[in-house]
Amino acid sequence: MKARAASLLLMAPALLLLAAVFVYPLLRYGWLSFQASSVLTGLEPVPNGGANWGRLLDDARFWTDAFQTLRFAVCSVALELAGGLGLALLLHRPLRGRGTLRALTLLPWALPTTVMALGWRWILNDPHGPLNAAIRSLGGSSYGFLSTPATTWFFVVLADVWKTLPFVALLLLAGLQTIPEDLEEALRLEGAGRLQILRRLTLPLLVPYLTLALLFRLAQALGVFDLIQVLSGGGPAGSTESLALYAYLNAMRFLDFGYAATVMLATFLLLLVLLGGGWLLWRRERAA
Amino acid sequence: MRLLVLLWSLGPLLWQLRTSLLRPEALVAPLLEGNPWTLANYQLVLSGDPPFWRYLGNSTLVALATTLLTLLLAVPCAYGLQQQRGLLRWGVGLGLVGAAMFPTVLLFLALLEIARRFGLANDLLALSLPYAGLSLPLAVLLLRAAFADLPVELEDAARLEGLDLGQRLRHVLLPLLGPALASTGILVFLASWNEYAIALTWISRNDLLTLPIAIARIGGGSVFTIPYGAFAAATVLGSLPLLLLVLVAQRPIVSGLTRGAVKG
Amino acid sequence: MNTAIGAGLELRQLCREVGGRRLLDRLDLAVAPGECLALLGPSGCGKSTTLRLVAGLDPASAGQVLLDGQDLGALSPGERQVAMVFQSYALYPHLSVEGNLELGLKVRGVAGAERQRRLGAVLEMLQLEELRQRRPAQLSGGQRQRVALARALLRQPRIMLLDEPMSNLDAQLREELRPELRRLLCGREQPVIYVTHDQQEAVGMADRIALLDAGRLQQVGSPRELYADPANRFVACFLGRPAINLLAIAPGRQLGLRPEHLHLAEDGPLAARLLRREWWGHQQLLWLDSRWGPLRVLCDPEVTLPTEPRLGWQRQHELWFDPLSGARLHGQGPVW
Repeated sequence: MKARAASLLLMAPALLLLAAVFVYPLLRYGWLSFQASSVLTGLEPVPNGGANWGRLLDDARFWTDAFQTLRFAVCSVALELAGGLGLALLLHRPLRGRGTLRALTLLPWALPTTVMALGWRWILNDPHGPLNAAIRSLGGSSYGFLSTPATTWFFVVLADVWKTLPFVALLLLAGLQTIPEDLEEALRLEGAGRLQILRRLTLPLLVPYLTLALLFRLAQALGVFDLIQVLSGGGPAGSTESLALYAYLNAMRFLDFGYAATVMLATFLLLLVLLGGGWLLWRRERAA
Repeated sequence: MRLLVLLWSLGPLLWQLRTSLLRPEALVAPLLEGNPWTLANYQLVLSGDPPFWRYLGNSTLVALATTLLTLLLAVPCAYGLQQQRGLLRWGVGLGLVGAAMFPTVLLFLALLEIARRFGLANDLLALSLPYAGLSLPLAVLLLRAAFADLPVELEDAARLEGLDLGQRLRHVLLPLLGPALASTGILVFLASWNEYAIALTWISRNDLLTLPIAIARIGGGSVFTIPYGAFAAATVLGSLPLLLLVLVAQRPIVSGLTRGAVKG
Repeated sequence: MNTAIGAGLELRQLCREVGGRRLLDRLDLAVAPGECLALLGPSGCGKSTTLRLVAGLDPASAGQVLLDGQDLGALSPGERQVAMVFQSYALYPHLSVEGNLELGLKVRGVAGAERQRRLGAVLEMLQLEELRQRRPAQLSGGQRQRVALARALLRQPRIMLLDEPMSNLDAQLREELRPELRRLLCGREQPVIYVTHDQQEAVGMADRIALLDAGRLQQVGSPRELYADPANRFVACFLGRPAINLLAIAPGRQLGLRPEHLHLAEDGPLAARLLRREWWGHQQLLWLDSRWGPLRVLCDPEVTLPTEPRLGWQRQHELWFDPLSGARLHGQGPVW
């Protein structure tokens, strides 16, 4: 028991910092979301009952952003999982220079999001970016990729997939490496082809890793911020704005801290419901 | 197939490299006569005010301080958690997994308030406090998995020989944890090097910006006025340290993620 | 082995409970100075649990561990001055042989010259001089065991504990090492507890054997006592190879007869039918069937069998048990 108490003491500093960084903000938002705290109140919190929450329910921009964020997250995570699985399978095969190949494919993930977001902006530049140069040299005319909602959305998803696919691939690669080779050999002796091995053996054994990647990436994608802020600024006409960006704008541009806190807390709650609900459903499926 | 993969992941970066080496006129007129190549963009970036290496230095300082602080806090925490049983172990473990997944941008407002109240804004070393907090969940989970992989009997043997906790950590556990410490450290370093939302709100002084913010600021003008050549040179300079890090540390990064995945 | 009261190691009503499960139930045991006691039993019987309680690695739920009359309960493992050889040897993989042996000495503040002297002596005794720079991964199983032993001896322990130190070695090496291990460990002043699940090893190493099952002490005594006068059916079955025959003679009585105590006799009371024979060179083992159940009999390899063999035995070899509880029933059985 003495040892148990001593080990609690060892954990204390880290747990304190964690509480300050994760728990305090959520509590603070909970409190702030029942205050008016904006330029109108001189940036001082004044209790306003549930006015923020009432406003949230009627805030079309919030719900549009929620839908846009969800759509973005589902699409890019789905693409990342599919592409990541393919890349993992490729990187798992014994190739010459596999280590270097892994390192190079990992590079997009290691770079700051803002750096590559600006890089994409240059590539998509109208009319000087390479993409438009290529179109022109094929006889077409320049296109403002970042000025129509559909293409902007497409490239936001593409940029996100480009950056995080290597991470997903790496997680799945880790999973592939835990599958003993003799399992595959046993199945091959029974006459299974490569596709059958993938379907009957590899994928089922990869489920925990796929789930982990799915949950982790979904949570991150639902909180997408820096990519969108730099690449599209949420535009055109708010068509790519995410919840996190909306919250940021409320705080830093509209200086409405009470409502910003409400939006952040609501985003967190949505996330909790989505992921928690998904997790429970998945657990029940597995148990059944 | 390999080529295709490389083209996909490196293509956009190589294009940046090309852009950074072109004269500004060559950017808008692809068929310019004469030699389009120049190092002028790099000169411009490096002689700016403040010079670009300043941002590299800022980011390196924050990332190193964060890595150190995170490991300092995470090692005892992971060890302590590994000793726990029952509800506490389960609860803390679950909380850490949740925190590791948490989108950190949602925290920036409350953290900014803290920074203002305690005068921590525009202080690079203070920035490593929230960074360490954000990195701790993953670091503790990875290190706990590493502790769990060590045979219990090794520590038992050391206890029987009279080594106290500090001595056991120093002579037996930490030397064996070397690879896990390295991979955890690298992941923390990468994450804090690249962090955006908190640095964006905590740091406003121009000479204290971290690299991601500095680069975003360069690109912050309207789409038409961004000096793309200079900007590309900045991204190349900013990417080089990470490229080297990833090339050198590929193995620990992969193994670090593996451990995290297995125990997650 | 008579010693002064309180000398040596004494366990009193020692219990260990984890999550409501009793791993060890009120163990009473005494080991005299210089005595080697084997803790024998199937896996999960509580042998290793006992060792860890004596070493202080796990806390006891109840009961006491006394050494020369002193209660060790409040002492940490390091303060107990106990040495243990682990089943896996638990050598520090990042340190050389020398480093493994020196770490404890350094931490306990033994000065350089003295350290070198003691290290040299133990390296010589275990013939490890040539290996002193090697890492554990570069050693064979037998060499690793010697390093683990050396580390334990360097501790100059007041109690020596060994947890299945042979189980990672192949059968032949095990037999060869037994006398050497006995020479090194036993007959010094400290009590030795040797945990094993192998009865042959226990008989070969120990002065006395304590047999455990399901966390309870079944019997403690010399190997001969346990063999000839088992306290219950579990003890009778666990010791002796091939295992004892159990015959359902009558309701409420079960007869135990060891295969080596049965012989072919024309006028024997038990008729049997031969199923199979195993030839072992110096002996043969017969597998038989009888109206009281299957039987194993050890006999001379050259003996010729009648078509309907009859078996006899001496009354003194009969062991009677309660068929339900397995308890030993004393007194005479029925007259044949």
